[in-house]
Amino acid sequence: MAKGSSDLSKNEQKLAYRLLIPAFLILIIIAVYPLGQVFYASFTDKEFASSEQTNFIGLENYDKLLSLTIKELPPKINEETGEPIIDEETGKVEYESPIRVLPRKPYLYRPLNEFNIFGNRYVIGSADTDFINSLWNTIIFTVASVFLETLLGLGIALVVNSEFKGRGVMRAVMLVPWAVITVVSARMWEWMFEPSRIGFFNMLFEKFGFSSGNTAFLSMSEYQLPSLIAVDVWKTTPFMALLILAGLQLIPNELYEAAEVDGANKIRQFFTITLPLLKPSLAVALIFRTLDALRVFDVFQVMLAQKRYSMASYNYFQLISARNMGMASAIGVIIFILIFAFAVLYIKMLGVETE
Amino acid sequence: MNKFRENPIRRSLFYLVILIIVIYLLFPFYWALNSSLKSESQLSMTPATFVPRDPQTNEIDFYLTNYEGVFASDKFVRGLFNSLVVATSTTILALTAGSFAAFALGKLRFKGKTPSLYIILAMTMFPQVTVLSGLYAIINALNLGARFSMILTYMLFTLPFTTWVLTAFFRELPIEIMQSAQVDGATPFQTFRLILLPLTAPALVTTGLLSFIAAWNEYLFALTFTTIDPAARTVPVAIQYFSGQFARQEPFGEIMAAAVVVTVPIVVLVLIFQRRIVAGLTAGAVKG
Repeated sequence: MAKGSSDLSKNEQKLAYRLLIPAFLILIIIAVYPLGQVFYASFTDKEFASSEQTNFIGLENYDKLLSLTIKELPPKINEETGEPIIDEETGKVEYESPIRVLPRKPYLYRPLNEFNIFGNRYVIGSADTDFINSLWNTIIFTVASVFLETLLGLGIALVVNSEFKGRGVMRAVMLVPWAVITVVSARMWEWMFEPSRIGFFNMLFEKFGFSSGNTAFLSMSEYQLPSLIAVDVWKTTPFMALLILAGLQLIPNELYEAAEVDGANKIRQFFTITLPLLKPSLAVALIFRTLDALRVFDVFQVMLAQKRYSMASYNYFQLISARNMGMASAIGVIIFILIFAFAVLYIKMLGVETE
Repeated sequence: MNKFRENPIRRSLFYLVILIIVIYLLFPFYWALNSSLKSESQLSMTPATFVPRDPQTNEIDFYLTNYEGVFASDKFVRGLFNSLVVATSTTILALTAGSFAAFALGKLRFKGKTPSLYIILAMTMFPQVTVLSGLYAIINALNLGARFSMILTYMLFTLPFTTWVLTAFFRELPIEIMQSAQVDGATPFQTFRLILLPLTAPALVTTGLLSFIAAWNEYLFALTFTTIDPAARTVPVAIQYFSGQFARQEPFGEIMAAAVVVTVPIVVLVLIFQRRIVAGLTAGAVKG
């Protein structure tokens, strides 16, 4: 009998391994092996479809992507008087061109930004300004869109959670933006952002007197990120609202009834009952969206292409247009490390139930 | 819960808020629909109109040629076909491999279960873009064909999710079902195929739908892998490169018509399976 049952459990174990083979095999082929490849290629100067020999270059790709330097910009000196040159029109000191100050070796540094501290002018230089900018764009995009989505999602969830006629219809409506293909929604918004009054936003803003109706939302750098964030917020707020709604429905109604008896008003109820009890669902939704936003590709690629990059769209550009496989791989690894750090945080915060 | 019935002002304010939310969520889609029914000259009217109007007489005037253009476009129709093939195959493959793994993880006892679960959970967060260059190299070296490459690589985001949600579902099924089947002489695999799998049908529908939509939506891999084979372009890539049949400038009328054509079926599907999808989305996020 004892032998029989251990045979049974052995058989069960064997079956389990056999059932896991297809899934793990697929994941090894498409995730583990290419990940190893990407790590390896990131240390080389491999070019795609080229006959050039591939060399091992160590950390050079990473170094080039992440190198930053700060240099002081000296004022231009009038050679005759030895005094700094002052622009006659603006009355400001003229400074040397950043290109002259920034190092050219081992890579050519380009100016990223300039700033003043204590009357001195400094320039930040980067060996790959496009990448540093893409990193910065991605972070701004992530923080702003996740913040707005959470706020709006919470609002919508609270409204839909109360009982009213047409609640079912409302829930259906919430799924519509989620169901639209991201590329399609990007093109729909691209059309609404047209730089003249044939576009919806210019028509609207002109009507209300906010602008002359000729704002080039996707060409002017100050409007590019806000426009993209608007698209993303529209597309993913419903998802956020659904997750928060699921959390809201876990809160027992008795708590509110008790609070009502104790004379707590709605606002107090929100801060003492709803928000604390909603925290776990909110945290999950937040991290989920953050991981997603950090790898944003579709909206950037469709609406801005090479005008402005996210990390993912810069990776795509390096791989397909520049055919720079080593560099693209290094970017992939950096994205991986960034997201992995977030994912570890996520698992830690939740814990995994295995039994 | 709320006592709006007693106060007509608060009640109407509440419905106003609802109305604003509904308009916000639906308006971009309405605008696409509106624009898809305009001719080129109607599209270039300033200011843009909320319904298609005749540029001269200002009377309401629908223009249907954009839809003809969309279906006359070889590239778009082929894109629809490619998307259907890729999304359906992805779903079937993910459900098959996923339900096998989920049965093992949810119902069988074996060594290494906890690490396997951790690996699957970690995989649900795997950033696809990281392995883009590696996959592209493999696909080119092995000459896999763009459609097959997409189906295989879409497992990256459908398989871990499917496995994770189905595992949770299998775990909930009472162990007695398996035991009584075993007493009747069924092997564990027979129990799985004949008894447990039919019981998980609702979860299969949910995860299947979500996999299908995710594959239908995918752009990064589709764009990358079809650079070598434009005939294999799926809908998102086809819409991005849409050049139009009739229009001379960027054919936004036809693009909007294409947008409506690809969105309506998915929206209908989503509305029919509304409850399942919401359940799946929240299960995927809350549990993994």
